[in-house]
Order: sequence, then structure tokens, then C-alpha cells
Amino acid sequence: RLVCTSSTLQRKNIAAAGPEKYTQEFIKKQIEEFNIGKRHLANMMGEDPETFTQEGIDRAIAYLFPSGLFEKRARPVMKHPDEIFPKQRAVQWGEDGRPFHFLFYTGKQSYYSLMHDTFGKFLDIQKYQDRMRAEGLFSQDTKQVRWMIKEELEEILVQPISDHDCLRFIQLLERILALPYCSREEEYIQRFRRTLEVQSKKQKIEPLQYDESEVAFSTGEGRRKTATATARVLDNGAGKITVNGVDYLHYFPVLQDREQLMFPFQFLDRLGKHDMECKVTGGGRSAQAGAIRLATARALLSFITENEMESMRQAGLLTPDPRVKERQKPGQEGARRRFTWNKR
Amino acid sequence: MESPRAVFRTSEWDPANHGDQHVGQFYTIPPSQVKTVFPHGLPHRFQQQIKTFNEACVMVRKPALELIGYLKKADPAHPSVRYVLYGERGTGKSLSLCHALHHCSLQDWLILHIPDAHLWVKNCKELMPSSYHRARFDQPIESSVWLKNFRVTNERFLKQIKTSQKYVWSKREFTDEGRPLGEIVDQGVARVKNASDAVGVVLKELKAQARPGSYRLVVGVDGVNALWGQTTLRKEDRSLIDPSELTLVHNLRKMMKNDWCGGAVIATVTQTGSVFTPSSAYLPQELLGKEGFDALDPFLPVSVPAYSEKEFESCYQYYRDRRWIQHHRGHTEEGKKELLFLSSSNPAALERICAFL
Repeated sequence: RLVCTSSTLQRKNIAAAGPEKYTQEFIKKQIEEFNIGKRHLANMMGEDPETFTQEGIDRAIAYLFPSGLFEKRARPVMKHPDEIFPKQRAVQWGEDGRPFHFLFYTGKQSYYSLMHDTFGKFLDIQKYQDRMRAEGLFSQDTKQVRWMIKEELEEILVQPISDHDCLRFIQLLERILALPYCSREEEYIQRFRRTLEVQSKKQKIEPLQYDESEVAFSTGEGRRKTATATARVLDNGAGKITVNGVDYLHYFPVLQDREQLMFPFQFLDRLGKHDMECKVTGGGRSAQAGAIRLATARALLSFITENEMESMRQAGLLTPDPRVKERQKPGQEGARRRFTWNKR
Repeated sequence: MESPRAVFRTSEWDPANHGDQHVGQFYTIPPSQVKTVFPHGLPHRFQQQIKTFNEACVMVRKPALELIGYLKKADPAHPSVRYVLYGERGTGKSLSLCHALHHCSLQDWLILHIPDAHLWVKNCKELMPSSYHRARFDQPIESSVWLKNFRVTNERFLKQIKTSQKYVWSKREFTDEGRPLGEIVDQGVARVKNASDAVGVVLKELKAQARPGSYRLVVGVDGVNALWGQTTLRKEDRSLIDPSELTLVHNLRKMMKNDWCGGAVIATVTQTGSVFTPSSAYLPQELLGKEGFDALDPFLPVSVPAYSEKEFESCYQYYRDRRWIQHHRGHTEEGKKELLFLSSSNPAALERICAFL
């Protein structure tokens, strides 16, 4: 019998279905395709398919599909399907509709089971402590460590949690750390800690060079918005600066540009101690000043200690400014400005 | 506190007694003399500084001392020597000139001070064809203004000097022979149409009568390179005027020749205010051009450099003493180093930076 329906009722409600669900077979098929594709790529690049790593894949893709997009995440990428497809939970209940996990009806089963396990360990340690009543220490980490953040916890549990939950969990872990004898569950706790990488190790230092007359000098290069500058900083100076053969007072009549030149020296408290000669081409007045500032900071790296280099990096003296002129789009007057809107 | 004050100030207000030990120190010009000697002579920014600080303090520097030394030793019987002050922009040439002129006024010389010759070759609102010479042009406003200031400076002399011939201004006005020069100046001020010619007459008379027996004449011109450069003024048919076609310039050029004795000519060549010259030029040869250089040759060049360390220190202390540097960092050692770097020991740059501190 035909039941009266209209086309609106038969249309699928896309928003109610939730995020797209990938089945296990689908993911397995993707993994196989990825491995085969990896071997093909290795053959194409002339490398050994057995020892082809993810770095090799990245390099190959960047070579074969060059992209000028500024956003790195928009560029073409080839990665293992586990990294691309978001992790999804397998079906939580059996054929009879009964859930597997005993905490299913709390709503956040993985989070509460994690809290349950951790608190169980906490009680174990307390019982052990009551028995022994002696001292024991946690192994101190020499490097900087930090607790996991909410995003990383979500990734492990494959379940969305709130900030409050994450905070409660970290407070519980810190309570465990406060007890003596926490070294019993050390490896369990280390799973939730991450090390901070030290950024400044990536900066390379130019070695000091020596001139004919025994004066130490060092060179640096800098770029800012189509202006390139090379600077030569000499030791034992009086604070004289020459730009393209002209005194800096005449080359930069504006105070703001001279302040930019002064910034690296002033930051390191070396105002009257160095002489400098620089050459700069391209760009405008401000761009040239910025380029010379970066070149000076890089040249001064060879004269200073590591702590000073770290503080310079944090002050932003060593970061090249990535801002360039945005391109003009067709149909608009400039990069952002539209044509004047006429009603007729 | 006496001791910090003594470092950068000196109580010696007579430039004749300034010596090497006063280099880097500030001396005050008494206010009465400021009005008479420099009614129009000081640079504009310095006049603002005088108004702010309520005193006219000039720093004693080597170039000015050199000039004063030469002036003291110069023999009145010889033809007048020409001195040219040159230096980069903002190093203090105009103020050194004023320092030397102050000395001359205290020594009772007759001062002929043209504060900025560039003002005569550009931005002239009224340009009239000269009544005396058909091809030349007059500038009535500038001439009358200059005559007024000249009268303020040299009141005493205007009564003493007498004209040597009769001058006819128009059908009914004339000045007899033997009348005091003050009358010619008054005539120029009253009848603006004849002001430029009055200036010419004054210059001619002074030059003719500057003999070793009578007064000594010093001609101070700021921006002498304007006399031989180009003008921005145009005739009615839109063609550029040559400087020699202006009455004032023509008469002044005659003064710059060294065919008279009993005085001196001090000039500065500056790029600020000059037209059609690149800003990097500061040597006399570049700024004067071939014609000017030949006209002024031979001359004694005096270079005016930027502040030395001692002079910078003393200027900084002066500003602090006058409470001009308000920022709390300006009072520290690092602040001083920053000021030194940013101004690169240039006096004008330092003054501009401290202006908003």
C-alpha cells in the first residue's frame, strides 16, 4: 500500500547523521593502497622501496606537486591513513544491545575508566606506604617536562572531554607525585608527560673571523620584504655605522629607522663597542632598516653567550618577518579592497 | 649644587676672553644684547629654545674660537679676508657665525648680518622691475625687513657715517650729500618701493668708507651659496631668473669681493634651504659651483664638525639642567648612550630628539 509521503520526508537529513563513519574494512583497504603507493613512489624517485621513510615521501610529494600556497596544511600531502582519518571508536555494544564496558552509561566511558584506574593505583601506593613507612623518591627529569594538554588526552581516549575533566585528571596525577613511593607507578605516569623541545638549538652560529689587523669581525645576512642586507660587525669599535658607504645619519634621516638599527646593540648593552659596515639593496626605507636589523642580530650571534642568544630569540630579533605584499585578486581593486558598489 | 653647573657653563660672557679651556662650555648672552645684536640673526629653532629656556646659551666650540682668533690677529690695513664655514647639515655653522658676530659687536665693529641669503632667492611674493636698472628685479618686502633690523643693530653708526653723494629717489625726494646714513635707511623703510635701492646705497657707502682709520666692518652671510646658485623665481614669461638679475644679490656680490680693507667677511655654505642641490653635498666647492668658487677665491675654509664626546656630554648636561629631558630613562647612563647613537653626535639631530623627550 502506498503511504502518503512527500519528497521532503524522503530526503536524507545530513546534519543529523553526525560525522562520517569509516568502517574497519575501508580503513584496511586505505592502508593497503597507501603501502602500494609508497612502493610506486619509491620506484619513481629511484630509491629503495624497503627503506623508504615518511620524510622521503614528503620530499617526493613536494618535488612532484610543487605548491605556492602559504598555508602549509593546504598543500598536497601523503600520509599513513591512521594519521589522516580521525580515530573512531568501534561499536560499543554487542548484538543483544548490551554495552561491553561497565561505565558505558556515564557518557564518557574512557575518561572515567582512566580516572578509576589512576585512583586505584593511588590507593595501592598509599597501602604500600602504610606498610613500609620509609622514604623513596621520584626520578627527577633533567629536561623540561610538561603535562599533556586536553587535545592530546582526547587523542588517546578517542573521546571528547572538557577542560574541567582534564584539570581533574592532572590534579590526581600530581597528588600521586606528591606521595613518596610514587616510583612504583613511574612508567604509568611517564605516559602522560611530554618533554619541551628547546628552540634555540636550531640556530646556527657563524664562527668569528679575524681581519688583517687582528680585529675580530663577523658577518650576517637578513631579508625583509624584498630588501636584502649583509652586515659586517667589527669588534673594538666606537659605534660608527656605514650603510652603502654613507653615514647612517644621512642614509636614514627618519628616527624610526635609526631606532631599528639600534635595537640589537641596545638589547645586548653593546652600544658603543662595535663598528658596522653594511650593504643593502631593494625594498623601501622601513624594509631596508628591518633587513639590516636582522643581519646585525645574526652577525652579533658569534660574540655572545647561549643565554643571551636565547633571550634574543625570545625578543624576536632573530625571527625573519614573513609578511610580504599580498597579491591583488581579479575582480577586486587591491588585495582586500573591492570595487565601489553601485546599486545600478 | 655648584660643581655640576661649573662643568658645562662658564660665566665668561665676552667672547673675546674665550679660550681653549672654555671649549664645550655654554656661555650666556645677556638679554639686552640679544635684542640689539641679533634681531633677526639667530636660527629659528634657536630662537624657540631661547623663549623656552628664558636665556640665550651658546656653546663655545673650536671653529668659532678659531674664527675669533683670526679676527683678532687680522690687520685692518690689509684687504679684508674671507672666511667660509662649511660642514654637514646641522653641525652648528650658523651658531658659530653668530658667536663670531657677537664678539665683533662687543669689539665695536659695524655688523652687516644677512641671516639667510636663501630667503632672498626663493618664495618672493612681490617682484618689481627695478627703477634704477631696467633689467633687474627688486624685492621690496625683504629689503625693508632687512633695513629695519639693520637699523636696530647699528643705531650708533648710522648717525656717524655720512653719505658721500646725492641720491635722487623720485621727482620730489632726494638725499643730500653729507646727510647721516640713518636717513637713507629711514627712506628705504618708509618708501618700500625704493627699499632695494636703499640697501644697495647703504652697502656701497659702507664699503667705500671702511678705511683703517674709521670703523671696522664685518659682513656675515649665512648661506652664501645662494648668491651664485639658482633661484626659484620666475619672470612674467615663465623663464627662470638668474641671481645676478636681482638687485639685492647683485649688490651683495659686490660686497663679497676683497677690494676693500678694514674688515672681514664671514660666510657659511649650507645645504639646508638651498634649492636644486643634493642633500649629501656639504663641501664649499660643490655648493658654490664654479662661478661662486672663483668669486670667493681665495678664502679661508673653516670646517665645523659634529659634537665631540666632551661637547656631547656638556650639551646633555645642559638639557638635564634645564629640565628639558623629562623621560626617566633619559637620566640614566643607557639613555645617554642611546641618545648618542640615535643622534650620531649631530647637534641638530640631538636637539630634535630631545624636543619630545
